[in-house]
Amino acid sequence: MTMAVPQLIHATLAQLNKVILGKEQQVRLALSCLLANGHLLLEDLPGMGKTTLAHALAQVCGLEYKRVQFTSDLLPADLIGASVFEMQSGNFRFHPGPVFSQIFLADELNRATPKAQSALLEAMEEGQVSVDGTTHRLPSPFFVIATQNPQSQAGTFPLPESQLDRFLLRVSLGYPAPAVERELLLGRNGRTLLASLPQVLNGQRLKALQSLVPQVKMTDTLLDYIQRLIAQTRQTDVCQLGLSPRGAQALVKSAQSWALLQGRGHVLPEDVQAVFVAVAGHRIMGRQETQGEQLARHILSKVDVVGNGRG
Amino acid sequence: MDKQVTYSGMIWLLAAQLVVMLPFVFHLPFWLLPVVLFAAGWRLWVLAGGAVQPGNMTKLLLVGLGIGGLLLSGLQFPSLEAMSALLLLGFAFKSLEVIRRRDAVVVVFIGYFLVALHFLYTQTMLAGLYGAFSLVVLTGAMIGVQQVVEEFSAAQNVRFNLRLAGVILLQCLPLMVLLFVFAPRLQPLWSLPLMVDQAKTGVSDHMAPGDIEKLSQSDELAFRVTFKGERPPQDQLYWRGLVLNHFDGREWRQFDDAYDLERLKYAAAHEYAFHPENMQVLGDPVEYEAVYEKSGQPWLFTLTPALKVDGEVLQAADYRVMAAQDVQAPLLLKATSYPQSLRDVQLDPYVRQLALQLPTGGNPRSRDLAQRLRAQAGSEQAYIDKVLARFREQQFYYTLHPPTLGESDTIDGFLFTTQRGFCAHYAGSFVFLMRAAGIPARVVAGYQGGEWNAQGKYLTVHQYDAHAWAEVWQAGKGWQRVDPTAMIAPERTEQGLEAAVQAEGSFLENNHFSTRNVAWLKGLRQKLDAVQYGWQRWVLGYDGEAQMGFLQALLGELTLAKVAVLVGGLGGAIVLAWLLLLGLARRGEREALEHQLYRRFCALLAKRGVVREAGYAPGAFALQAAQALPTSAALIREFTQVYEKLCYQPDADGQAAIKRLKALLRALK
Repeated sequence: MTMAVPQLIHATLAQLNKVILGKEQQVRLALSCLLANGHLLLEDLPGMGKTTLAHALAQVCGLEYKRVQFTSDLLPADLIGASVFEMQSGNFRFHPGPVFSQIFLADELNRATPKAQSALLEAMEEGQVSVDGTTHRLPSPFFVIATQNPQSQAGTFPLPESQLDRFLLRVSLGYPAPAVERELLLGRNGRTLLASLPQVLNGQRLKALQSLVPQVKMTDTLLDYIQRLIAQTRQTDVCQLGLSPRGAQALVKSAQSWALLQGRGHVLPEDVQAVFVAVAGHRIMGRQETQGEQLARHILSKVDVVGNGRG
Repeated sequence: MDKQVTYSGMIWLLAAQLVVMLPFVFHLPFWLLPVVLFAAGWRLWVLAGGAVQPGNMTKLLLVGLGIGGLLLSGLQFPSLEAMSALLLLGFAFKSLEVIRRRDAVVVVFIGYFLVALHFLYTQTMLAGLYGAFSLVVLTGAMIGVQQVVEEFSAAQNVRFNLRLAGVILLQCLPLMVLLFVFAPRLQPLWSLPLMVDQAKTGVSDHMAPGDIEKLSQSDELAFRVTFKGERPPQDQLYWRGLVLNHFDGREWRQFDDAYDLERLKYAAAHEYAFHPENMQVLGDPVEYEAVYEKSGQPWLFTLTPALKVDGEVLQAADYRVMAAQDVQAPLLLKATSYPQSLRDVQLDPYVRQLALQLPTGGNPRSRDLAQRLRAQAGSEQAYIDKVLARFREQQFYYTLHPPTLGESDTIDGFLFTTQRGFCAHYAGSFVFLMRAAGIPARVVAGYQGGEWNAQGKYLTVHQYDAHAWAEVWQAGKGWQRVDPTAMIAPERTEQGLEAAVQAEGSFLENNHFSTRNVAWLKGLRQKLDAVQYGWQRWVLGYDGEAQMGFLQALLGELTLAKVAVLVGGLGGAIVLAWLLLLGLARRGEREALEHQLYRRFCALLAKRGVVREAGYAPGAFALQAAQALPTSAALIREFTQVYEKLCYQPDADGQAAIKRLKALLRALK
């Protein structure tokens, strides 16, 4: 590695922020998701820059990028590929689908049928696909960015909780700030910058960074705080659906990854708080159908950061 | 606080209201119950959306109707009844306007008060148990109206709330016992005329044909007696209540003027005063303790003659013992009697005059009989024997259904025509014959015998044990008891009324609800009665005096300091038990020192106006605080840094950091 880790991270973030203006927090979340080796769910309206973000990530990280627009007639084979008979050799040969890429953008994931969705979700979880009894390993790193349109729900198949759980983080980009909007109105186009974006990372460097994430230290005091948060999500009078152990692991991993992005070798409560909404928002559910995100924010404000009770 | 009461909360409240009001039906106008049902129904109808909330005019109209109803119910104003009825009315109507939690809590609190109020009317153990039940339901309602979300099914909700209420009340139990045992019994500071038009039960102040007959149909309890030593034989148990001196030709009264308690009390202190020195105490004492039921009259019933009587009682020349006021609540009396004593060695002239009084005319045949028999008999004793023998030998019958005797010459009618009657007839005519012959005699009214409760080793005396007998005075012998009834129906005094009228079958014949005629219930009844008696003696009988006795037995000589230490100690123990059992003292494990220091740091800053919300991480809070308090910004930042390092950075130097934190904290102060 020619560059020290902090500089590397700083440079990566700087490049990404050049393309996605005024969304440092979300960009950081997306990158920490990538570093934590998890998958990202972007939930937003069309035209908010989801695709641009995915593209920029691929470009900066030097990864191979593919995109599929999900529709209701999408078949699993359209994603993972199929075995095709070849006249010349007289054999079946596997033609890999778009899922064989390092960054895979699944646009409007909830438009596809559950069958197609689960094909992708299996690939995400296992890191491999099986076709006709043969197992094909997916490239590494394999990073899925799925987008969802939360608004028009007609003709969609909302992802069940078990599948939402596969995504490490859920992030919304949201509307740009007025100043940024002005720049956009003046004709600045992130997409055009994409081509000129220098490649900061490569597969090897990314892997090195990913291996650093589990080494970020957590003290007992911090783990107490995390456990208090988790316990609060499991309080039956607050939540109907609490954070699962896998969700809790996701919280720790993301917090470590976030701390690494901050250039720290240990996790602070602020790191946990920064990722908590993105981790828990799509995993917990309130009593009266409260939005998970809202509930997560409420829990953050309720649970005392200081102290050593475990909740 | 100002949340609306949920539907289930409202049902809880209405149920509790009903439970609280139910027992008042026996004491207050019965139509109050339909009112509460009506109000509850209306409220539920409103809740179900069937009607609108009643407006102010409607409410005013209802209140007017209710008060009018109370006025028409014949309640006296002002009296406790009227006030209770008014409160109950308000309580019933209140449910109509309960919408918010605040109103519901008011209803529950009035309910608690009403539970206490009910004990003014009755203090039986059953009432006590019902009171406890009402408390549980009321507390359940209190919990019910606080619940916001309806999480459970109805059955679960009921079970949960009742259980929680029970647990809450059980926790109060030790405190209740402590207060019961040690709280000083204060005299009331003021009192309302209590139950003015009281029903009087038991032996009355006069004896007219028919009075005792009515009593004999009642199996209500009159009093219970525990003997210290040996129980006297059954036919010696003559419980003297009052003495009837005056005969007006038809009925027997105490004196020639109408009965008045104050007058009687005055007489008992003057011309009719008790003179123990006019008595020769003989024989073994009988020591006993009696608990008298509420009777609405002042008479107490003791074995004659009673000496050494405890408590605020009066005694009079005729050896009666009576309470200073009408007995409105169970009353406990300790007495010692010497039944073999010689009473009235010298007969007081006033008493003699009373004991010889006869109406001027009437009953000529009886007077004639008396003259004849007296002339035949050589001595007074021989005359007495002759008269008794006449009762025994002639065709006299003991019956609870005597033929009517008309308005005049009733003694003649009984002695010569009907010859059927019960104790009142025999005692009355006997005394008449004595007086007609110039022997001082008088009628004594009270109870005779009683039912021995082997379970509890005590005697229960019921209204049907009411009895009248006679006393004659002879020089050298004093007053002697003569029971002419025993001549005709000896089983009356030996085995009680039930045996005496067995052939006739008239024992409690009109009292269809009495279980006394069911033989197999007897054991159970006696057991229950024993429990009731225990309740009366140890719970209701625990008055100021009993309290003093208990404390003295416990502490020896009483000093304020001793009592204070004891009560304080017990109270402290209860509080300690609460703290331990309810986990109030276990407010989290002790936090690590650095967190305590950090909390002190937060408290310091809070005093200066910067409050940390729970969800604020130390770093974020430091930023906010440093901005708000620029003068201490450096200290705040450093404190936070050291704290953060200590908490979140592995392998930090704990000792040094804590020292630094303490130093910084001092600097901040």
